[in-house]
Amino acid sequence: MKYDICIVGSGAGGSPIAYELSNAGYSVVVLEKGKNYTEKEFSKDELGVSRRDMFTPPLKEQKHIINEYSQSGEFTRYDGAESGWNFWNGSMVGGSSNLMSGYFHRMKPRDFKLRSSYGKIRGANVVDWAINYEELEPYYEKVERVVGVSGSAVKHKFEEPRSTKSFPYPALQTNGVTKWFDKACLELGFVSIPTPRAVLSQSANKRDACYYSNFCGSYGCASGAKGSARAALLQQCSAEVITDAFVYKLDSKDSKVTGAHYYDENLRSHTISASIFVLSAQAIESSRLLLNSKNKEFPNGLANSSGEVGKNLIFSAGGSGSGRFVFDKLTQTQQTELMQTGLFFNRSLQDWYDYDDGCRKYKGGTIDFLFEHQNIISRVNKELYDEDGNIMWGDKLAKKIEKSLKTSRVLTFEVFNDWLPTDNCNVSVDDKQTDKYGVPVGVINLSSHPHDLEVGEYLAKKAVEVLEEMGAVEIDYSISASPPPNLVAGGCRFGNDATNSVLDKNCKAHDLDNLYVSDASFMPTGGSVPYTWTIYANSFRVADIIKGRLSK
Amino acid sequence: MISLNKRRTFLKVGFFSSAIVFTNGCDILGVEKLSDTIKVVQNDLFPKAKELHINISKYMNIIFQHSRVDETDKEFIKNGIKWLNEEAVKMFEVPYTKLSKSKRQEVLEGIAKYRWGENWIDNMMRYIFEAMLGDPLYSGNNEEAGWKWLGFKGGNPRPKELYL
Repeated sequence: MKYDICIVGSGAGGSPIAYELSNAGYSVVVLEKGKNYTEKEFSKDELGVSRRDMFTPPLKEQKHIINEYSQSGEFTRYDGAESGWNFWNGSMVGGSSNLMSGYFHRMKPRDFKLRSSYGKIRGANVVDWAINYEELEPYYEKVERVVGVSGSAVKHKFEEPRSTKSFPYPALQTNGVTKWFDKACLELGFVSIPTPRAVLSQSANKRDACYYSNFCGSYGCASGAKGSARAALLQQCSAEVITDAFVYKLDSKDSKVTGAHYYDENLRSHTISASIFVLSAQAIESSRLLLNSKNKEFPNGLANSSGEVGKNLIFSAGGSGSGRFVFDKLTQTQQTELMQTGLFFNRSLQDWYDYDDGCRKYKGGTIDFLFEHQNIISRVNKELYDEDGNIMWGDKLAKKIEKSLKTSRVLTFEVFNDWLPTDNCNVSVDDKQTDKYGVPVGVINLSSHPHDLEVGEYLAKKAVEVLEEMGAVEIDYSISASPPPNLVAGGCRFGNDATNSVLDKNCKAHDLDNLYVSDASFMPTGGSVPYTWTIYANSFRVADIIKGRLSK
Repeated sequence: MISLNKRRTFLKVGFFSSAIVFTNGCDILGVEKLSDTIKVVQNDLFPKAKELHINISKYMNIIFQHSRVDETDKEFIKNGIKWLNEEAVKMFEVPYTKLSKSKRQEVLEGIAKYRWGENWIDNMMRYIFEAMLGDPLYSGNNEEAGWKWLGFKGGNPRPKELYL
């Protein structure tokens, strides 16, 4: 059988296309490496989910090679299996969107024009996007309705233009401590923004509302409220999903992809034929598949006549920090508010999405505030060392744990700013190491630009001001160049010039007539927000392009 | 040949009940059952667990059989027991379990000064907390006693089957 569309990868990058095209009557098959889990199978098992990584492949079977570059250009090589450095985010139907927290921010108009708005930065390969905000806005709006985003729009200096007045679903309920945050921001002259969440605050689209489980991020959602690609899209359409299907090679002939080869769980090989192929295996793996699919016509990797496949890999720069609220400094009412579990914190700051330090204009970013993850084992593990860094045990440790967990609570923040694309940050494939399928593993070359740290520091200090104003103690933060594996993009840049980009503005490969890449690989820069909303929106945009093409 | 087969069967039966031989580099100083020392040392490291009737031994059996706990991590637990006993013999001339409570604490303080010792205690503590505070389905957290200690309610839905 020849399908109309074959999609490789079932996450946020591929599922909007599966949903739209199957609803329009086309035959769609989705190939997913992982297994399928439904709402009934998701539990809040900290041991399985967070301690034993049940949703990602064992590193001894599937790993990456990581080369970490220093500013002087030397690198240290890490074998993923030996070092435990894990870049997998969720091998399952719906991909890592099942496990996201769903902090949803749109990119802003200036994010599409980083090069022309802020000028050249030495050592960074910054370019403008091939599309502008106005072209993506209708799709951001569509995601709000179809995937489901809850929130309330607040006027602020950097609020992005909206085609609707506010969000289709009201903001989720919040913990009482958000009032302290709002008050502190008012004092400081900052604008407190209720963080939009891809979590339904009321039942809709055949999915149940959020039940405030207290365990959202890292866990699958048992009500279907979280807008995972599985719950929001794949379970709501007729696209065929084949699980345990690891695609190891795409064939091409005369500028057309002719087949996708995959191994099933018994390592038997199968081939899918389709008119159009869509690649959406998450940034690193999509580049790896193209590089592993080299053939006579494309000796350097499929769709790689430009030599750009794998180049300009980006992450989200920034870091995180925290402050602790202790009972000693609080009234009894405040203590009760503090310890109330389940409800969200959901506050963000974007006052410095753009700032001037007196010398030049900087592109800044977003700060999200949230309570420390409620995982009890990881919270207790954090108490293992005393103030001098000595390991503790026995009754002394038990008392410390009891005091910390029962009479205080930690509020954390996360800083998101641009990870500037550089020459030494990219994906290639290893010439010796293979995975359990016998396929060359991806090599992740990591390098960050010092500019990213400078911006991250600036933003973290603003977050610290808020925590101080709120009366937190033990305030600390860490801005680093270590890449968050779940916030990854780039590798197959889109652009209008086929000599320096992999994809055209429609996310179709310049080199091939029927191959699209619709995960975050297309992004030349990432904006200073988490990527998922933009990945969804762009995939809905590409779905319209493919629909238009097929209807001709 | 017979003894080799026996040994293989023995290994299959239980890593946890295997014997640990400790030496001073030349001579055998003693033989202890892995599980015996682990039981004693885990209680020394966190007596609160015993007070709450947490079944750490049962949980450690799961860890030793777990598909997602690396063999090197399992070996490290075992080697730590061996080195702990060697340190006990070096300090007091008898294996760890034969020492008084206060002397056992001295041995723990002794090994905590070594890099391996600190790492090993760190590992043991993490397994103790997993046993105490993981879902009761994993057989350590007896009637949610660990959760109740910290006023924690656990997330819903709870797991219906073990992830091994």
